[in-house]
Amino acid sequence: MEIDTLPISASMRGKLISTGYISLASLSSISPSQLAQDFRVRESEAVEILKVASVNGRVGNSDGFVAGAQTAWDMLREEEFASRITTSCKEFDHILGGGISCKEVTEIGGVPGIGKTQIGIQLAVNVQIPVDYGGLGGKAIYIDTEGSFMVERALQIAEACVEDLLGKGTAWKEFRASQPKLSAKNLLGDIFYFRVCSYTEQIALVNYLEKFISEHKEVKAVIVDSVTFHFRQDFQDMTLRTRLLGNMALKLMQLPKKFNLAVVLKNQVTTKYSDGSFRLTLALGDSWSHSCTNRVILYWESNERCAYIDKSPCHQSASALSAVTSKGIRSSTSNCSRIKLM
Amino acid sequence: MGLLKHLERDFPIIDSDFQRFCASHGILSDCFDFTQFHLILALAIYPHAVEDFLFHDLYVLAAFAEAQSTSERLKQGITQVLTIIDGQHQTWFNGMELLENHQRRKRVLRTGCVGLDLLLEGGLCQGQLTELVGPSSSGKTQVCLQAASNVAKDIGGVVFIDTGNSVSPKRIVHLVNNILDPTPGEAKNRMFERIMRCILCHSVFNIFSLFNVLHELEANLRLQSEEARVQLIIIDSISSLITPILGSGSHGHALMISVGILLKKLANEYDIAVLVTNHMVGRDGGTLKPALGDSWKSIPNVRLLLSRVSGDNKCSMSIIKHPSVCARKQKMR
Repeated sequence: MEIDTLPISASMRGKLISTGYISLASLSSISPSQLAQDFRVRESEAVEILKVASVNGRVGNSDGFVAGAQTAWDMLREEEFASRITTSCKEFDHILGGGISCKEVTEIGGVPGIGKTQIGIQLAVNVQIPVDYGGLGGKAIYIDTEGSFMVERALQIAEACVEDLLGKGTAWKEFRASQPKLSAKNLLGDIFYFRVCSYTEQIALVNYLEKFISEHKEVKAVIVDSVTFHFRQDFQDMTLRTRLLGNMALKLMQLPKKFNLAVVLKNQVTTKYSDGSFRLTLALGDSWSHSCTNRVILYWESNERCAYIDKSPCHQSASALSAVTSKGIRSSTSNCSRIKLM
Repeated sequence: MGLLKHLERDFPIIDSDFQRFCASHGILSDCFDFTQFHLILALAIYPHAVEDFLFHDLYVLAAFAEAQSTSERLKQGITQVLTIIDGQHQTWFNGMELLENHQRRKRVLRTGCVGLDLLLEGGLCQGQLTELVGPSSSGKTQVCLQAASNVAKDIGGVVFIDTGNSVSPKRIVHLVNNILDPTPGEAKNRMFERIMRCILCHSVFNIFSLFNVLHELEANLRLQSEEARVQLIIIDSISSLITPILGSGSHGHALMISVGILLKKLANEYDIAVLVTNHMVGRDGGTLKPALGDSWKSIPNVRLLLSRVSGDNKCSMSIIKHPSVCARKQKMR
């Protein structure tokens, strides 16, 4: 176990190695004040280094092979309680296996104007459906990078959602009376909205999200619209971009696992020249395509909006039709609205 | 001299006599002691001590030791240190021993994908690092899940390290159901549970936690029993952990090579097959090449390229690098 593998700064690492502390065991017997004296650093920094070393140096854990690991059997039992967020469009939910999963990162991409932002707003509202109505009863975080979040539209969608829900509950009037006031304004009040204007703000926000969510445990959905906007223009250094994106992808990937929420990323399309023709693919290149668990591509098919599952570890490739109405995303009402399996 | 003082605190036998003796020969951080246990501990903790010790001419040291009053003890100390240093490295094997070791202890694990097993002439070799490269949604995770379920059913003991939340228990259930006997029953349920309990999944999201997990695994592998032996380690995908650290100085590069070496060491010492997945990046001509660069190319023993015909369920796999099979292509579903 080497000092090399500790997450500490390069200068500190250099100092440790040059003085002879190359393995973690050598750090275990030294006190913070001694370390501070030897390297002429502040005592608080010495304490930090020793803390990192002791965390990494834990061995011989007899609790299974690896601490924090789960067997597939346990995961299966847990998955039965896993929740999904509905998209209000039955076919779309069907191809996703019930809705947007709360343990995965889903990426939605498509040409401009196809309804990606509408899906985002619909999900932000749907995640707040109370548990009694079959929803999650959680809050949402909406990170807006393009400025396409229209509050009036969100209000419209929220009102339509409330109408639908209350319409369902007409049979149980006394049940409905005991619910807290379900109104469009309350729904809007539970969406945390962040506006970012540059890529540094975006990265800072993603880093801060973990702390924010641990303070607001009711958050069940994080929607980023769109994750690629600030990275597409003005980047001279492509290697830096790859590194930043990789880091951001890992941090976003960690959130569903740790806090059991859904992360939905919105992406734009670009053209790619392959096999002699131009094809539409999602922006940010091949390396970004590995940063999501599921990928859904929206496209036009003869005046209908289609959603196509491009990448998923457990769902088949399939496409479904959907429509954007004044109430939000709903099932398509065309004659041939069926699910096409690819 | 700080290190010697620490030693005095831990091992009171190293009194001022030894420190003076060592200091007089410029060995500032040595660790002479006469109990085996202390010597091993000290050598493990202070490898610099070994360097200093080996730099000196041992005969000269022995001659000086002769001159001291406690010469016997000092000479014993020197010989003991030498034997311990010899014991630190791996033993030498000759060709026959290597072959026997290989045949007896290292198995070939069938992955369950007929095409892949055909291509690899058997399956994944224990003791080797196999890399699966392919563009997005070409089926890499599916191959990993299939291999995990098949190995869990045949032998057991799979560790799946997941970086993209892509282990879906439902999919594993589906795959396991395909392999098992279709008739339902109590025995089948028990077997099902046994298979699922053999697959251990862990999520890591940065390279340092991967190192933690691998070190912990290494420590526990030394103590593992024969029935619960780990046979297969899958890391999906290792490139998403390494790409964020590559490029900013050489430290990222060093970490990548260290991971590769650590994985190969685990594979070799504990007879495990290691499967990692990698993605592809665009090269200047518009075609794709595997990510992680040229230095990573030499680390895996076997490299397989997966490519998917667009709009089709079929994908084709070809061998880029293998120690004993020549490059071929195979179509599979």
